[in-house]
Formats: sequence, structure tokens, C-alpha cells
Amino acid sequence: MKLNSLAKLGGVALLSAVVLAGCGSKSSQSGSKKQTLTWTTPSNIATMDTSTMTDLYSAQTANATNQGLLQMAPGNKVKPGVAKSYTVSKDGKTWTFNLRKSNWSNGDPVTAKDFVFAWQRTVKPKTASQYAYIFANIKNAAKINAGKMALSKMGVKAEGNYKLVVSLNKPQSYFKFMVAQPEFFPQNSKVVNKYGSKYATNAKRNVYNGPFLLKGWNGTNDTWKLVKNSKYWDAKAVKMQTINFQAVKDPSTSLNGYQSGKFDYTTLNGTQVKQYKNDKDYKVNKEASTFYLELNEKKDPIFKNKNIRKAISYAIDRSQFVNKVLADGSQAPKGYVPDAMSERNGKDFADQAYVKSGVSYNLAQAKKYWAKGLQETGKKSVSLNLLSDDTDGAKKSTEFIQSQLTKLPGFKVTNQNLPFKTRLSRSQNGQFDMVISAWIADYPDPSNFLDLFTSTNSYNNGKWKNAQYDALIKKSENQDANNEAARWNDMVQAEKILMNDQGVVPLYQQALSTLQKSKVKGVQFYPTSPQYGWQNAYIK
Amino acid sequence: MVKYLGKRIFYIVLTLFIVSTITFFLMKFMPGTPLTNQAKLTPGQIHQIYKQYGLDKPVWQQYLVYLAGVVHGNFGISFQFSNQAVSYLIGSRMGPSLIIGGQGMVLGVLVGLVVGSLGAVKANTWIDTTATIVSILFVSIPSFVLAVLLQYYLGLKLRWFPIADWGGFMYTVLPTLALAASPLAETARFMRTEMVDVLSSDYIELAKAKGLGKVGIIYHHALRNSLIPIITIIGPLTVNIMTGSMVVENIFSVPGIGEQFVKSVLTNDYPTIMGLTIVYCAMLCVVLLITDILYGLIDPRIRLSGNNN
Amino acid sequence: MADNAKPISAGDFKPVSAADRGKLDSEKISAPSLTFLQDSWRRLRKNRAAMICLVILIILFILAFGSGFFETHNPNATNPNLANLPPKIPGIDINGFNGTIEQSGTRVNAYVQAHAGNAYYILGTDYLGRDLFSRILYGTRISLEIALIASFFDLAFGVVYGIVSGWMGGRVDTIMQRIIEIMLSIPNLVVMVLLILVLKPGMSAIIYSIAITSWINMARLVRAQTLELKNQEFILAARALGESSWKISFKHLLPNLSSVIIINLMFTIPTAIFFEAFLSYIGIGISAPQASLGTLINDGQKNFQFLPYQMWYPAIVLSVLMIAFNILGDGLRDSFDPKGRE
Repeated sequence: MKLNSLAKLGGVALLSAVVLAGCGSKSSQSGSKKQTLTWTTPSNIATMDTSTMTDLYSAQTANATNQGLLQMAPGNKVKPGVAKSYTVSKDGKTWTFNLRKSNWSNGDPVTAKDFVFAWQRTVKPKTASQYAYIFANIKNAAKINAGKMALSKMGVKAEGNYKLVVSLNKPQSYFKFMVAQPEFFPQNSKVVNKYGSKYATNAKRNVYNGPFLLKGWNGTNDTWKLVKNSKYWDAKAVKMQTINFQAVKDPSTSLNGYQSGKFDYTTLNGTQVKQYKNDKDYKVNKEASTFYLELNEKKDPIFKNKNIRKAISYAIDRSQFVNKVLADGSQAPKGYVPDAMSERNGKDFADQAYVKSGVSYNLAQAKKYWAKGLQETGKKSVSLNLLSDDTDGAKKSTEFIQSQLTKLPGFKVTNQNLPFKTRLSRSQNGQFDMVISAWIADYPDPSNFLDLFTSTNSYNNGKWKNAQYDALIKKSENQDANNEAARWNDMVQAEKILMNDQGVVPLYQQALSTLQKSKVKGVQFYPTSPQYGWQNAYIK
Repeated sequence: MVKYLGKRIFYIVLTLFIVSTITFFLMKFMPGTPLTNQAKLTPGQIHQIYKQYGLDKPVWQQYLVYLAGVVHGNFGISFQFSNQAVSYLIGSRMGPSLIIGGQGMVLGVLVGLVVGSLGAVKANTWIDTTATIVSILFVSIPSFVLAVLLQYYLGLKLRWFPIADWGGFMYTVLPTLALAASPLAETARFMRTEMVDVLSSDYIELAKAKGLGKVGIIYHHALRNSLIPIITIIGPLTVNIMTGSMVVENIFSVPGIGEQFVKSVLTNDYPTIMGLTIVYCAMLCVVLLITDILYGLIDPRIRLSGNNN
Repeated sequence: MADNAKPISAGDFKPVSAADRGKLDSEKISAPSLTFLQDSWRRLRKNRAAMICLVILIILFILAFGSGFFETHNPNATNPNLANLPPKIPGIDINGFNGTIEQSGTRVNAYVQAHAGNAYYILGTDYLGRDLFSRILYGTRISLEIALIASFFDLAFGVVYGIVSGWMGGRVDTIMQRIIEIMLSIPNLVVMVLLILVLKPGMSAIIYSIAITSWINMARLVRAQTLELKNQEFILAARALGESSWKISFKHLLPNLSSVIIINLMFTIPTAIFFEAFLSYIGIGISAPQASLGTLINDGQKNFQFLPYQMWYPAIVLSVLMIAFNILGDGLRDSFDPKGRE
């Protein structure tokens, strides 16, 4: 397709050359369809250095070009990656990974030392990684990161070239998910040292051990491509030859490009969804992320009153919100922890911990609780602001929530939509009355969400406190950490407390509405980062 | 001339100094932090990272470090693209912006000149009215509306031009058209006024009296003399193009610098904002200097001197 | 020769007869004496396009500022069940005004789909089910308010700056001109964006930043005019009579500067409206639920392909506003121009 349109245009020599080169390698394929597709992302790659990476789209690319010990698999599971197997000690604190023999794209072998090097590099204070915290449970990592201990003391050791031993502070059953994330990928010390601070700032100053090689990325441009890596250990399973990427920042431009046949994939916003709901290319992917309302109990003591919190939750018609306002495939939440993320014995966490009153709409009830709450706090009317981001979705949300809450007698709400980072620092400094926050899972485990509402967590912006909740979370992290059933139960109880007490007001669980050409098969969607995987994709 | 140039360059340097100072301190007052991942960091870790970027030093020290960097063309490291030098970021994304900006400017000015002179020559006829309507319409439609319309109708419906990509001349057509609208309108209005003035001046009357043909008069006398003042509006037009490119690049997916500026603003990427502000300012200064010199060279009545008057 | 002069005697003079007096009167200016503004107004009235624009502007102002009377619905009342309904005017059955819209290739009646009953919205509704017509009126008001207030600041500051610079002359003028030159070589959009970020987005931040960046043009024009007027006889006379500089600038300079100021204002207002729209597009404009024409167009352009009316109507209002200001500005310039006097 690309070749076609370019030929029509008389195209630029450079681009044609690139495309022709792509075609050349394809001819070796035995008569099947051209294994190439064009994908869009809303943002460009910020860096390919897995130590300093912070955004989803960089992580997505890194996940396609590199591989960690394990890799994410459908159904929120993991499957072997560079490690062919692993064992966990009885106390759950020592993880031993047995690595397979595999190679970097420059021919060097991928060894356990590459992992040690990479992890140490991320934790090293000088790297200034914004993701160093994710290593906190690895022995001594936090101290090293704070500059208080030597790098070599970190709890990750290479025993020979193909065995990696990791020591944890506390047992962590979800550590298996973490090692599949880009922060835990190996780095080739030779290449890193060769380029120094320029490492991974463009496609050439890097080396790859994953299914694809990154090409044509100059560090700041909006187009790049993934090309099959013939040195990847499982290369025979990779069918795609080339995946062209294009960063398209305007959603309507992206859709226009899809319609004109230029792209094979695009995301849709609410209005666009309405037009494509019945299209065969239409797909909704549910993400492991929850949007919720936090009430600032420290600044506004009125929110210390449980009836007031309940009134607010009851006043919000979530199904109208997701179906009529957002209308982008997002769904009404079952609770604070998103559903379809983690399950045990076939039961979804969100279903097990479901508390109906915490997420349902009932204006009559809301008014009742509201009146009761006002009486208890001795107030007649309340005037508060509602803080959120200034994105389209966030503006829709604040306008909707505002209109819902003002149905409570004597409640006046003013909206404040600020740029993301300004909003963040305001929520963290407690400069708000009500704020719409979102949490997106780093790894598919409820603890990733529940940790936030312990009374000392810095992301507990509303400063909701509950001793019982704290105790349960603590128990799940310590004495029950190595007992899967007990830990699960602790977390379910904690979520129930959170919902019954309305410590947080869940608003919706986000979904990604997309169009994907039906000829494109096998693209894997993960509810958590990195969202997409292409190594099993093919064109039919 | 040398003295004049020296003086102008001194003022450019002074301007750039003031601009970098103001931007630097404005950035310090800016709410929020530049960290992309702040939501998941503790204050201790944030402090650690600030230290790495030198943001923990007193403001005046940061300022001096920054100024020293600017002198060497080093604007620091971008916060969005980790380890990517801002100067590289600007350099690598400048090309497409210059292409569509340049094309838009040339197209706009040329067509504007034609429309404007037609209006003047055929003053108070339907041609004049049409020319006026076109020029007023084009200043009255925001560039992003025009861009959306162009993309939808010419790109998607009629399929005349490819959209949502970059590479090759055809991809530049729609963004160029969207950018050309404003300079076209401005030039046409300016040209019409100038030309009407010139056409009623004594030397044109004289040429008429001598029996010169209409075409000859317009081409040899009127056009040339009205062209000179056009140079003076090149500066303001450049500013228009810069503004326009910020939205047009976003809509047409042009990997340019204007779109990057907007993105930096929305992500608190201070080094990039500061770097781009200085670069925008420097570009404008140079354009103004060149137009002034050109003006002096072309119009003998104006002599460049060190004097203000 | 002088010696030959005949001495004048009383008999050489004759009293003017009543008939002759009539002849003398023919020398009198018979047309009514007109002030400068009256004269300009007279000429403006003859400019049909400018007059039409003036009327359009007056209508728009009345609609916008009296929006409470004309709004068919509350501009901020949301009704998500009736979101994104196309325009519907009862009794008119033309596509675009009958409540139908293309959906996945077929034309459907969106009002029936949404179970809207007898409700109708003449320009449709937005993504929260708010009446677009009322929103546009409301948005026009906000846009005009921003533009007017920003222009007022710009006027106040620019005029004072220009007069001081031109009137004082000498070193003060040189320094003030240098400052202007420096300001001119800073792209004002960049300054505006930075200011808004620091002042945190909102209506007042937008007004300030537009005012701060747009006074330069006014100051330059006023200065040039002041320099010209400064050396004219009436100013010299006032000076010779010992009038204070203040009084001269208010009583003599300002009235003579009024045409420059009014013309420039006609172009500053639309520029400010434009800037506001631009800021809305890049995401730092007016914050919700307030709306301006800019935010309305920006919301509309995102869904232009499917809900074109959401962009068309606010864009048309914005363009009409811009065109009217521009043509009126041109008209005023012509009518103030002394060369154009009949």
C-alpha cells in the first residue's frame, strides 16, 4: 500500500529506497501476504534507554525490541523470555532465573551479567532514573538509590553467565510480572559504555535482543519502524517483517489516515466510537486503570464525614457517564481495583471484592446521606472546587461530575482544569478540594492499586485513613506475603473496607477503543504496560 | 554600513540576552514539575533527580550555568526526551517547519501580490471586490479551522493530497496552503493600498501623459514602486507563520518544531521551552535585520546609518 | 505715485443697502459646520459595506451581551442523554436542520434515537447535551469580553507610551524606542504562552498576556502621530500660551490622535479574539465550563467529520465577527483620512 501511494506521488527517493529494501527481504517469504503493517501511536518515542524510560510508548517499543527474563502473555500471565525457567525459594525471598543461550543483535551473548549491569545502572543515583523506585523490594536497592550504599551490594548476582539470583526484602509473588517490564530488561555494558550519555538516544546507538530491531528513529522524529530481528532466539515464531510506526498527535488526523488506507490501526474518541461501533474493525480493549475522585479530608474536614462521602458517590450516575458522556468503551467501575486484571481460582478480584453501594447511583439515597452529613457537620451549604487535567476526557469528566454533584442541595462546585503536571503537584501538595485522579497498573496485581490508600502513602492525596485497612495491607505484605490464599483474602477485605467507607469514589475503568484492519491478526493487547505486543502478529 | 550592522547586531545580542533572562525566570515561577513520572515518586527521589539535573542549586547559579550554556549554543537536556540535547532536538525538527513555513510564505506573498495589484488596478470593479473579500476572508478564518477543512475535503474526500504523514513534496501541499492563507491576505491588503497610492502619484500621471501603455506603466513603474514597502511586512508575516505552524503541524502530523513547542509547553519541558523561545526570537531578529538591509539596498531614499532618524 | 493719491473723503463711502447685504451673505459658509468626528461619520455612512458591518456588530453585541434574553436553554445545563444532537428547527425538513445525521453511512434521526421527545435545539447540542446556540451566544460574549478588556489595557498603555515617547523626544524617546524594538523582535505568541503558564490558565491570564504583548503597535502609531502633531501650529500656540504638557496632551493631542486610536482598535479587537481562539486550540484557553468561540471551535474540530455543525456554527460566528471588524476598520480608516474629504 505504501509502495503504491508513493509510486503515485513520484515519491522521495530516500523513502522509496527504504520501502524497496523492505520489499527485498520479503521476497524470501514463501508466497504469503506482505508481512508489513502501519501502526499509529499518539506520541513519539522519548528514549530507548530502559533505565530512564517513563512513558508508555517508549516502553511499548522497548518491549518489541528487547526482552527481559520473562515476558507478558495473554490473560495477565507470564511466559519464559530470556530465562527459560525460574525457581523461588521457600521463603519467597530468593528468585533464581536460568537463562537460555541467546544473542544481542550485534552478536554478543545475552548473559546474566547484562541483567546485573542494567539493574544496577537504573538504581545508581547518577542515572537519575525516575523508575528506580520499582526496584525498592530488591535487597539494598533503596539505600543504593539514596546514595548510602555501594552499587555492588545490590541483591542481584550473576552466577556464571546463565544464572541470575535475585534477593528480595520481602516475598513478592508478583515479582514475576515485574521482571517482564522494560525497567528490568538487560543492557549490553559494552554498548552502554561506548555511547555514554548518548546511549539509546537514536536507533543506532543501541543494541537489541527482542523480536524486532528498531530502525529509522533519529531520536526526535515521528516515524520509525520495527524490522524482524533474525538473531532473536525465537525468531521463527515472528511472522511480521516490518511494522511502520507513525506518531499522529491529532485523533481526527489519525482516523482520516486510517480511512484513507494509510494506517492499519488507530484509536478512537467518543464521537468516533459512535460511528464505528458496528464496524468489523472495531475493538475495545479494557485497560487496568481506574479513574477516581479523591476528597481532601485534610483541607475540608467535611469530607471526614462518611455520609458526605457516600452522598457524593451515590450522586454520580456512572453508567450515564461512561455510555453517554465518555462513550469511548470505558465502563462503570466495579470497585477501586479494575476488573479483568487479576484473578485467583478463576474468580476476578473485582467481583470478589464487589461492594454495590460503593459504586452505584441513587440520587434519593444521595440526598438523604447528604442531608444527614450536613446536619452532622453543622453546615448548610458547601462550595468547593473540582480539580482535574485539561485533556478532553478530563474536561468532559469535570463538567459531568460538576453537573451531577450540584444536584445535591446547597453544593456548589467550581471546576479547575490544569495541565497534567500542574494538576499533579497540586494534588500532591493538597491544594484541592476534590480531584479526579487516575492510576494505571504497572503490573497486574491488586497491591499495585491498594498500596496507594494506606495512610502514609504519598499518593493518598485525600488523606483518607483507616487503621483496619492499613493493618490488612501490612499483613498482606508481611506475614501473608508468601501465602497466596491469605494474601488474596487480605486484599479483598481491604478493598471492601475502602469501598464501604467510601475512602475513594471510583468513577470509571478506562478502555481503549480502536480500529484495527481485519487482515491484521495476532496483535496481543495487555491491560497493563506495555499494552501491545506484535511478535505473534501476522497479515492474513 | 559597518557601523550600522555592528549596532544592529549589538541590539540583537541584547535582545536575546533579555529574552533568555526573562524566560529563565518565568520558568522558575512555573507551577508543577518537569518530571514525567512524578505520580510515582517520593519527595526524596524527586530531590535526588533534581540534584542530577542541577535543579537543587540556588537560582542565580542555575541562571549563570544556563547563560554560559546558551552562549555555546547549549540549551541543556530535554526533559521529555531523556539525554537528548535540546539543540539537537531543535535542529532535527527544524527542517520540516522551515520547508512548510518557507513555502507558505513564498506562496502567500506571491499570490497576495497578484491579488493585491489586481485589486488596485481594477479598483472599484468586481475584481477588486472579489480580491478584498478573499483577503478579508483569509484573515478571518483561524488557521486550525482552515487546516481541518483542507484535510477533510482535499485530503480525505477528494484524495488529491496524501495526509497524516511526512515525506515528499505532496505531503507539504496542504500544510503550505493552510499556512499561506494569512500572509496572502495581509500581502494582498497591503499591496492594494500601496498600489492605489502609487497609481495616483505624479510620476504615473507623467508616464500616462507620455503615452506609455497601461501594462508598461503597471509593470515598470507601479509594481516596482509598490513592491518596496512590502519588504517591511515580511517581519510581521514571519511571526504569523511561526504561530500558524504550531497548529498546522499538529493537524497535518508534520514532524516540525512548532508542534514540539506546544508539546513542551504542555509537559513542562523547561529546557526545550527556553531553547525554542531563544531560537524563535533569534530567527525573527535575523529576518528583521535582513529586511531592513534589503530595504536600504532597494530604496535609495533610505540610507542605513548609525543614526536613529 | 503716493503724491498723486486722491485723498479719501466721506463722500466716497456709501451705506450698504439691504439688497447688497444679501450679496455679502453669499460668501458665508452655508453648509453646517461639522466637527471632525461628525464629518467622518457622514463619510462612513456612505460606505455601505462598513455600515452593514457596523449593524452586524451591533446585533452581535446585543445578542452576546443580552444573551440571557435570547438563549433558548441554559448554556451550562448538561443533559448527557441528549448529547451530540444535530440541529433541529421544527417545521423545516432540510437535511442539516431536521435533526437527522449520517451515522455509519446511513441517515438516522438522532432525536428519535436519543428519545428526545419534543425537545429541539436549533443548532444542536454538544458532547454534554448543552444547547449549542446558547453556548455560541455565551461564547461570543466571553470572546468579546476578552477582546474588549485586552484592547482597553492595550489602548491605555500603548497610547500613554506613544504620547510620552513622542512628546518628550530626545533621550527618553530613544530609550523607549529601543525597548519597543526589542519587544518587536520577540515573537509575541511565545511570550503570551509563557505568561499564561505562569499566571495559570484562565480568563484573566489570557487578558493580561494579550494586553502585555499587543500594545506595541498602538504605541508606535501614536508616537509617529504625536511627532507629527508636536510641531504643528496649534500645539506651538498652546505651548506659547504656557499650557502644561498634561493639558496639551489631553486637550489637543488626544482628540487629534483619536482617528489613529480608533482605527487601530478596530484591528486589535479581532486580533485578540484570534489569539484567544489560538490559545484554546493549543489547550491553554478558557477553562470549562466557561466557553469562548475558540474553545467551541476547538471542541467542534475534533469531531468535524461526524458532527460538522459543531465546528461550522461557532466558526461562522467567529469569521463574521472578524470580517465585520476588519471591514469596519477599513471603512473608518477611509472616512478619517483627510484626503478622502469631499
